[in-house]
Amino acid sequence: MRMARVLAVGAATMLAVSACASGNSGDGAEAAKKSVLHSALGQSVDTLLPADSNVGDNIGVDDVLFSGLVRYDIDTGKPYNYMAQSITSTDNKTWTIKIKKGWTFQNGEPVDAAAYARAWNAAAYGPNAFANNYFFDKVAGYDTMQGEVEEDDDGNVKVLKKPSATELSGLKVVDAQTLQVTLNSQFAAFPTILGYTGFFPMAEKCAKDLRACATKPIGNGPFKVTSWDRGQKLVAERWKGYKGAEKPSYDRIEWREYGENEVSWPDFQSGDVDLSAPPPEQWASAMNDPELKKRMVKRPTTALTFLAFPLYAGKPWTDPNFRKAVSLAIDVDTIIKQVAPGRYTRATGWVPTTVFGGRKNVCDSCRYDPAEAKKLLAQAGGWPKGKVMKIALGSDTTQEAIFKAIGDQLKLNLGINYSLVPSEEFFSLRSARKFQGPFRNNWYADYNLNENYLRPVYASGDPKKGNTNFGYYDKKFEAKLDEADQADNTADAVRLYQQAEDILAADFPTVPLYVSDSVTFYGDHLGNVKLNPFSGAVDLRILKIAK
Amino acid sequence: MGSYIARRVLQGVFTLFLVFFLLHLLTTLAIQINGNPALAFFGDKIPSKSQLVEVEKRYHLDDPCFEQFGNPCVRPFLERLNGYAHGDFGSNLRGDQQITAMVATAAPNTLRLFAVVTVTWLIGGMLLGSLAARHRGRAPDYSIRFLSILIDAFPVFVMLLVYKYILAVPIERWMSRQTGEDSLATLMFKPSFDPDHPWATVIVPGVLLGITGSAAFIRLVRASQLETYNADHVRTARAKGLRETRVTLFHIVRNSSIPVVTAIGFVFADALAGAVITEGLMNIYGMGGLLWRSVRESEVSVVVGTVALLAVVVLTVNVLVDLAYAVLDPRIRYD
Repeated sequence: MRMARVLAVGAATMLAVSACASGNSGDGAEAAKKSVLHSALGQSVDTLLPADSNVGDNIGVDDVLFSGLVRYDIDTGKPYNYMAQSITSTDNKTWTIKIKKGWTFQNGEPVDAAAYARAWNAAAYGPNAFANNYFFDKVAGYDTMQGEVEEDDDGNVKVLKKPSATELSGLKVVDAQTLQVTLNSQFAAFPTILGYTGFFPMAEKCAKDLRACATKPIGNGPFKVTSWDRGQKLVAERWKGYKGAEKPSYDRIEWREYGENEVSWPDFQSGDVDLSAPPPEQWASAMNDPELKKRMVKRPTTALTFLAFPLYAGKPWTDPNFRKAVSLAIDVDTIIKQVAPGRYTRATGWVPTTVFGGRKNVCDSCRYDPAEAKKLLAQAGGWPKGKVMKIALGSDTTQEAIFKAIGDQLKLNLGINYSLVPSEEFFSLRSARKFQGPFRNNWYADYNLNENYLRPVYASGDPKKGNTNFGYYDKKFEAKLDEADQADNTADAVRLYQQAEDILAADFPTVPLYVSDSVTFYGDHLGNVKLNPFSGAVDLRILKIAK
Repeated sequence: MGSYIARRVLQGVFTLFLVFFLLHLLTTLAIQINGNPALAFFGDKIPSKSQLVEVEKRYHLDDPCFEQFGNPCVRPFLERLNGYAHGDFGSNLRGDQQITAMVATAAPNTLRLFAVVTVTWLIGGMLLGSLAARHRGRAPDYSIRFLSILIDAFPVFVMLLVYKYILAVPIERWMSRQTGEDSLATLMFKPSFDPDHPWATVIVPGVLLGITGSAAFIRLVRASQLETYNADHVRTARAKGLRETRVTLFHIVRNSSIPVVTAIGFVFADALAGAVITEGLMNIYGMGGLLWRSVRESEVSVVVGTVALLAVVVLTVNVLVDLAYAVLDPRIRYD
């Protein structure tokens, strides 16, 4: 009797299973009428608010939901005015931005000077804790919006003073189409950074409820979000009211969310996802398939991976000869070729060549020369006998394989025993200065200027402690950055930033390792697939889908 | 019976409290050793102090005890318990999603997976186990026992990897050519879960996960049936001249299914562990996947909240199974 009931339940479940499965299949036929792009997205995307979006995935989505003052040429990466009519200044300190007329948000509100001021104020307000907050430290009045906090020796942080202002004093809405921006000091390259996600405008309705807007964005771009099942699927439809030049030629984008990016490859093979890249172990078979290889786009990105040292931990890390010895002992070219072919390019400077102002061969010790490495190590006093070098990095199988090869070469060429310490807690350990050995770092461009690889990464203005992550400080380096910031024009500024990079080259605080190449395979019904020069993501605005 | 129920429920509540406290101690210790998870929120970029304070508040990490190694942080624990008591399991660190809402989206997918797993167990385990018991010592018995060892040799992630990366795409293409693009057969062999077809795309992962768990089931069913085959009441039934099918179904299968039903209780907890791997690989947005991601992204409150909810579910199932067992077998009630 009991058994019969169990079987009956089982049978009923099976029936329910098949009933539900077939009941859903009507959906596909309806979708087929529209031209739809199926793309993949990391499940870790939890906001679409531009002020708070600073990782590849949400930057990529925001790029079709919003349009900013400036965009970057897809081929050269050069900035050009997009929503801005003009961006001018006589002293590189006070900038006048004229905004094109007639643009609206997807809810009908005008995209005017106030919309930009609103967005920038929200981003700059410290307690909002938005990821792009630090972009606004150049604008006058930034400090009054951060408040004051005190940190004792145990690391306890206490709020001493709440921010005294909620708006940047350097922002002035002159009239509906004119925004005046006053910076703290001269910054000739200001217009080049305005194409970044953090500078996109914000609707008034959004400002009233920032939290709601993070998941139901009100954009001014060619696509409009229509639904988002968090963790599963994000859907955006083409927005008919779009005024910009890049009018998309297809109707809808569906992003399927993935826990891990590489899991999408089989879905690409079965045609459920249109854009993807294979996991490392499937790389060779994909590259050997001539039919697939035809549908591959590749472009060097701005993501630079480098090896840093705990300069806060004293000798031997503080000796430049020791750091150069480590660099010379690593055969980066061979490692890339053996471990992850076709995905990285050897870096030869602290600014990738893909970034405005980046140059080749700035780094003298970025080559493989084990004999020279041994000599420099001896000059630096050698490696303490019997000590194991702990090399730290985040959890990532490809990176672990590469860094294991790096460790092997240090052992082979310098006789240093090492252990690899991958950790999920990498970022918090790094900020807490818990590392007592070299560690992996990665930096990608926020905007197209070499300065972005220098000041945010190495400067701190704190001679005693140095910068947070490595403990680096150099007076001449910081003075050069200040000088460059105040240059009369972008060309001069870039040249002076390059001189600051030269100071780094002499000091050798970190070892530049490699720049990532972005690789994407696309479905055979897609056309005009081009990669963004910065994010390395496919430009969804100009993509074409065959009907 | 009343005192048995009361005792069992009290035991459950106490266990739950212990689970909560252990969970709290572990996460507290992790924070004290590894440093502030609020920093992970900012990744490569360095937050200003005021931003950090704000995020610490969101995480409920502003209590100084998190800085003191070895401090059990009793106050935040009591605050959290108080929240749970009021049905507030907290939110993710951005504060835009309640954990209960996240679970409400994730739980149905996991339950679908479990439904398929359970059916696979019952059909596979019961059928093969009964067959083996019936043909004890002969070829079918040996081959079924060999099969159960073979299944044990293939962990679930190996099966899933092989299926997803090698088998799924060719099978799906073939099915698509045979039966059309939107047919159930094609959908079933999609290499990933599809939220538009939640039942169809969960069948194969569920069956694979079910198969890996079925080895233990086969052996359990076989052993308990063999015991009943030699029991007095079966001999009596045969002696009365009942037909063999009737003896098998009503006197052997039924009596030997009591331990099997009980086993479902703790096997449920086992399946949860397998679900983490299955959901991760097959991209199913379920409880296991939610937990997996939250751990990776240092979403402390989501981890604690979901594990707490899962603990409640597992304990409830176990208490219910125990009570059902007591109903089935009077001897349990009078210990």
